[in-house]
Amino acid sequence: MATTTATINIASADLTDNALNFTNTATLNKRGNLEGLDTIISATKTFTSTSAVDLVAVTGFTATAANKVYIANTGTSESDYFVIGIESEEIGRLYGGDWMFIPWDASTDDDITITPSVATAMTAEYMVFS
Amino acid sequence: MATTTATITLSSADIQSDVLALTKQATLNKGGTTTGLEQTTGLNKVIYTATTNIVLLDSTVLGVGKAAKVYIANKSTDASEFVLITINAQIIGRLYAGDWMFIPWSQSDAAGNIELAPSVATALPVEYMMIHEGATQTSA
Repeated sequence: MATTTATINIASADLTDNALNFTNTATLNKRGNLEGLDTIISATKTFTSTSAVDLVAVTGFTATAANKVYIANTGTSESDYFVIGIESEEIGRLYGGDWMFIPWDASTDDDITITPSVATAMTAEYMVFS
Repeated sequence: MATTTATITLSSADIQSDVLALTKQATLNKGGTTTGLEQTTGLNKVIYTATTNIVLLDSTVLGVGKAAKVYIANKSTDASEFVLITINAQIIGRLYAGDWMFIPWSQSDAAGNIELAPSVATALPVEYMMIHEGATQTSA
């Protein structure tokens, strides 16, 4: 059993009148118990087309599990973005430097899709914990 | 203009033969710009006492196609308790006790609400926050 943690810090000195600064750490466990997730897939992909493609397909993953997925747009462009979706539903857009971290159900057809906004070599990195 | 950052750190000494130690910081800007997001719901805490599927965040016209960011955390300490997160009826995943998620939310259309269904009706606490570009106000 592995022990993996994911920590988030959100901070701002001027978003609100009082400074915002909070941190939360999750230990990545399997569904409904205290046993750690013990497999990882880590990859970096460069895209040169604006076609929607599967970034992570459900094949090989346990459905309705407590999988976790991290995705980042490693670019620096404020205008270029990836549209991230699950099946046909758009979640959001990762602009240059943005990242996301989600629990992933991985049920039938729940592939994670990615669509670059431009065809000029955009790069994403991702990890799947399961 | 506000400057807000979101930083993730992923760490493990034993999930693979090499130590995992990743840190990534994002500056939360409006879509397609270097101007910081300047509106927020603030950090909310709600204790759910029913398993009813509810709208956690309502997709609104002013938010469609923009660069809102959403943080949700299950603050339960019972490992078996989870909240099911969906967008427009599409299941994203289950946040078990102690889990959190952070996503860009482009509110793809008016039906693109973020919804939450607790697994138990026994006082399940959830924290959430949205940092955004704008939200349609409801007339009184």
